[in-house]
Amino acid sequence: MTDPVHRVHVSVCSHPHYLDALRDVVRDTAALSGFGEDVAEQIVLAAVEGWTNVIRHCYANCYEMRIDLEIRMSSEDFTLEINDYGEFVPPDKMKGRDLDDVRPGGLGLHLMNKVMDDVSHTKNDWGGTSLRLSKKIPEKDPDEEEDW
Amino acid sequence: MEVTREERNGGILLDVAGNVDIYTSPELRGELKAAIDAKCPRIVVDMARVTFVDSSGLATLIEGLQRVKTFNGRLVLCALPKTVLGVFQLSNLDTLFEIAPDRDAAFAA
Repeated sequence: MTDPVHRVHVSVCSHPHYLDALRDVVRDTAALSGFGEDVAEQIVLAAVEGWTNVIRHCYANCYEMRIDLEIRMSSEDFTLEINDYGEFVPPDKMKGRDLDDVRPGGLGLHLMNKVMDDVSHTKNDWGGTSLRLSKKIPEKDPDEEEDW
Repeated sequence: MEVTREERNGGILLDVAGNVDIYTSPELRGELKAAIDAKCPRIVVDMARVTFVDSSGLATLIEGLQRVKTFNGRLVLCALPKTVLGVFQLSNLDTLFEIAPDRDAAFAA
């Protein structure tokens, strides 16, 4: 029997006021997937950076657009997929900066890459950007009880 | 997010509480700018009650640090919670900023 994939969908407008709700759902699902508190907070950070990039770059700070988040949880991976309906931004246009080049800005992509195992940007079916952030689920302690 | 400003020991203390992100960092930027425009020689940002910081918050602080250095002032961060310090470490910024354990140490440094 194949391993089930649990999914959570969130669809909200691009107003940063909703970042609080985003943080909560990502934090809770990351904890459910077995990540410890510190790593769960790092995953929350990666999600916020992805969400913020959409607001800033794909929607040019327009707060009335739609952003979809799908969280997929399997026994192997925890994946966040963020879809927007703006203009596709090719990956080569999304350049993070070198950490030695100290200046404001350009840190978001670096943080996403540092925290997650895999980060990819592709064009989605609506002409916007699909950002996928994946991280391997940590090995489970065999002595720990199954709780879901 | 809330920023409370207090004059102390010839410097300015900014006590920040809540989430520092794309939505809230302009308020922190405004408070920092006011202190910098006044050429305050020491600005201490107490982050004990900060619950989250992202790259927008980091960018605000980097900009503040760079502007403070133009008149040989100091920007000292203090009382960073573990998760907030972790974001600075992920960005290699923990070595760029002066980070003190608490506000008293930040003003004494």
